[in-house]
Amino acid sequence: MAPEMPGGGSTVAARPPGLIRAARAKGWPYLFLLPAVVAIAGIFVYPLIEVVRYSFYAGSVGSLSYVGTANYVSLWQDPVFVQSLMDNLKLLATVPIMTVLALVIALIINSQIRGWRQYRSIVFLPYILPATAMGLTFGYLLERNGVLNTFLRDIGLGALAPDWLGSGSIVVATIGMVIVWQQLGFGIVVFAAALLGVPTELIEAAKMDGAGWWQVQRLILIPHIRRVIEFFVILEAITMLSAVFTYVYVLTQGGPGNASSVVEYYIFQNGFENGAIGVASAAAVVLLVLASVLIFFYLRLRLRSEGGAK
Amino acid sequence: MKRLFVTTGRHGLLILLSIVSLYPIWFIIQTALKTQNNYTMNPTGLPSPLTFSNFVNVFRDMPFAQWTVNSALVAVVSVGGVTVIAMFAAYAVAFGEFRGRGFFFNSNIALMALPPVALVVPLFLVMVQLNLVNTLTSVILVYAGLMVPFSVFFLVNFFRELPHELIEAATIDGASHLRILTRIVVPLSGATTVTLMIVNAIWVWNELLFALVFLQDNSRRTLMAGMALYQGRYSVNEPLIMAGAFLSIVPLVVFYFLGQRFFVRGLTAGIGK
Amino acid sequence: MHAQNGPPVAQPESRRSRRRSRRTFAAVASATAAALLVAACGATGGSGSGATDTAGQAYDANLTYWFWGESDIPGITKWMQGMATDYTKLHPKVHINLVPQSTSTLIGAFQTAAQSHSGPDVDTQWATLPTLTPYWDKQATPISDYVPSSETSQWLNTNENTTGGKVVAMPLYLIGVPLVWNKQLFREAGLNPNDPPTTWSQLLADCAALKAHGITPLGMGNKDGYFGAWMFAIFAKQELASLSNLESAIGNTGQFTQSQLDTVLTNLYTAEQELVQKGYINSDVSSLDLTQGWQLFPQKRAAMSLTTDGNAMSWAKTLGEDNIGVEAPPTWGNGALASTYDVTQSSDEFITAWSKNQAAAADFLAWLHQPANMSSLYQQTGAFPADKRFPVSSITDSMAKELYQLDTSKTSVWLENYLPPQVDNDADIPAGQMILSGSGSVSKAVALWNQVLKEWRTEQPGQFQQYKAWAANGS
Repeated sequence: MAPEMPGGGSTVAARPPGLIRAARAKGWPYLFLLPAVVAIAGIFVYPLIEVVRYSFYAGSVGSLSYVGTANYVSLWQDPVFVQSLMDNLKLLATVPIMTVLALVIALIINSQIRGWRQYRSIVFLPYILPATAMGLTFGYLLERNGVLNTFLRDIGLGALAPDWLGSGSIVVATIGMVIVWQQLGFGIVVFAAALLGVPTELIEAAKMDGAGWWQVQRLILIPHIRRVIEFFVILEAITMLSAVFTYVYVLTQGGPGNASSVVEYYIFQNGFENGAIGVASAAAVVLLVLASVLIFFYLRLRLRSEGGAK
Repeated sequence: MKRLFVTTGRHGLLILLSIVSLYPIWFIIQTALKTQNNYTMNPTGLPSPLTFSNFVNVFRDMPFAQWTVNSALVAVVSVGGVTVIAMFAAYAVAFGEFRGRGFFFNSNIALMALPPVALVVPLFLVMVQLNLVNTLTSVILVYAGLMVPFSVFFLVNFFRELPHELIEAATIDGASHLRILTRIVVPLSGATTVTLMIVNAIWVWNELLFALVFLQDNSRRTLMAGMALYQGRYSVNEPLIMAGAFLSIVPLVVFYFLGQRFFVRGLTAGIGK
Repeated sequence: MHAQNGPPVAQPESRRSRRRSRRTFAAVASATAAALLVAACGATGGSGSGATDTAGQAYDANLTYWFWGESDIPGITKWMQGMATDYTKLHPKVHINLVPQSTSTLIGAFQTAAQSHSGPDVDTQWATLPTLTPYWDKQATPISDYVPSSETSQWLNTNENTTGGKVVAMPLYLIGVPLVWNKQLFREAGLNPNDPPTTWSQLLADCAALKAHGITPLGMGNKDGYFGAWMFAIFAKQELASLSNLESAIGNTGQFTQSQLDTVLTNLYTAEQELVQKGYINSDVSSLDLTQGWQLFPQKRAAMSLTTDGNAMSWAKTLGEDNIGVEAPPTWGNGALASTYDVTQSSDEFITAWSKNQAAAADFLAWLHQPANMSSLYQQTGAFPADKRFPVSSITDSMAKELYQLDTSKTSVWLENYLPPQVDNDADIPAGQMILSGSGSVSKAVALWNQVLKEWRTEQPGQFQQYKAWAANGS
């Protein structure tokens, strides 16, 4: 078989001929895939295997000894780990609140209220800001005698002015509040965009049937964007489990008295500040197991919405 | 009448939300313009006297410029790298037929949701063995790798929207896939690629955990890691910290208001019907 | 000596190979020049008097120094920077890159760096266990390996970081932790301004009087947990007969049991809880850092505080020397250690095991103890140098004299120094936060200590063994 000559390939001639042939051969996808596969193998697959392996060892780097499941046992006996897990679950409880709030606001924005574009711009802004900088800022705003409490006291709501970050019982809720501040705009924009896709005929038909504003929202719009809502809920749940480290580190360093520790922070503290990589790895494995439940639902949702992989 | 009530109520809610969204940024600016004394005496009010010295001190008291350069460098290189890698892979998934295509694509989706913290300990040890700890290379490699799944997913979704006839015609003409990718697909994906790069760059710019762990040298730290560690030392100089925070968010805010649609489209791409 | 500072930054291959030949030439040329320069210097006399004369030594190094001290001694970072500049004038091929560290990450940042055996050449850590632990983990080289005992014997309080006959680290200053009180606010509350509380019951009575007059009795910050750690150091110690009690409890050698330690801790946290519940501590203690909390006293928003000598002296200038008094913290416990004061070198400087410039680092550190340099430390910052050669007559400020008197009149023990860093970080600090923020009971705090001690013994078997051996040989 005579190979077909590529037409006028002046720019391609710079590449070694082997690559061109390969790029046209049947197996070309594998070549194109190679860099991504190497990256994934190196950054995901290998570390995942290693983290499971390390979870069965104790000691620090350079002097590891096999201990079987002892790390897992000590995890459950460690009140700080249990506290961390509980705190992650508490943060998960903010997701429904956030979803409802975002939905309501998105519905309002969708009602073509005047200036809705500007509002949408403004509420999305927190989402792109670095958690580190905003964490530092909220750390000052939320001091017991800081800006927020001073304001509350000035308008007579002093009873609602607790020690946001210094009280063990509400510190997790406070961190949740800060996270919601950042994530809400994301939900609002996503829901608003999805709502735009609702066919107007449906809405017109319902209105002609005499449905009021709230009925239209409840019976037509919300069900129509149900899938988007589900996505959002799962994404935020994953965030609460595995992307809150920055806030905890900057706002409270897990305090007071470990009350705001989360599993990410536990892994960081034990793995790097104490050098106990076995325990940290065991905690990471537990986190992965929990996350995989959420990932499973996420995957299923995505596949269903696409009608399966093409 | 009821209509007026409702409308006022809605506006009220949105205005309240806007204030809550913007006040912390206002607080940053307001505090950064105060002297330490002024802030201690009056944390909530306007600066008096108004001073810009904190912005100067930020560069004098900490290696702020170095940190910024580090962050920028890491962002540019890692985002550039992952874009190329993802382009190739997404093209193969979108236009190629091969065994394992579905598996690969679904794996990427799953990996998008994997908590990176689970990988930090083994990756750190790998970097130690490769003698790359404390180098920008280590974070560049890790960030690029972590961004692959999302980038592939994002580009595949876009490539699938491209008109197939274009690709088919080129194949019949005998062009290699490499050529199709570089001469046809890439030019068509301009806006989408920019969006992807912006989203990825924001993530890299804001990342803290890996930067804290991998970069020990104060001169190698990224902006976020430097600021997070610095605040403990000068917890009594809030205006200085806020000046630093302000400078760290300025590029983001500026780009946001210049090209909002890129941000919005890109950041909300993980969801979509 | 290869002038290097940590692992090299990766460079693209092509550029590196092109530069290599140019660099070799440059290296040879500069080495020759350096040798000539130092020979010339050596001929005109070295860096000064004393056993650390380095004339003739051609040190060529870039030293990275992770330094901490500002929290103890305001102004010391500037002094150290000046010292680094002066040293470079004497040793032009030695450049010292000073990197000030933050308090809350002092241990953690070093630990993270130590895991990859890379990082600074010189590090600051707090005295005793936080310095001995890196040595036991093979992360530090004892400074006595480089500096002769004729010199180290001039340093004060080296007992706080000696093990196996080796002086691991070098102290710079000594600080005491007195109780300060505002005489004017005492007067306003109807208390005798010259009769501060010397026992715990007096302290409670004075606090009650102050509170009754709307004055915050005690102003501190515990968001980062250090105030709670100080309470442990100052007051838990007072229930112990000797240091070996604590060491036995930690090392689990049986002479002083865990339950005996639990009793001490329970008593401590109960007393602290009382202070909190009665409102004798400022209400925002848990949302202010230690240094933020220290702003309350000089702003007259609190009548008493526990602080360092340096702060006391600076507050005396702010409030006026007649308005401020200093004394040893009140007696609370019944143990023999209740009669000791709270002076410590607080922090010390050591050379890291992976440093490629250990001799140069040791030379710089020892040079800091030259009498002229120690005097400048005092003159510039008011810190009391940890050196026997420092002439007491230099101290002329009356507040400083008072504090120096307190510092040197009796034996001192700073109990926190004797906790392994992991125990300090994971038990001492969070337990104190629990009590002072009201988010945990006394029994929960004590249970945390038990848990962490157990964890430390299993997670750090090497440190545990070393600790036992060191305690058995008498600290």
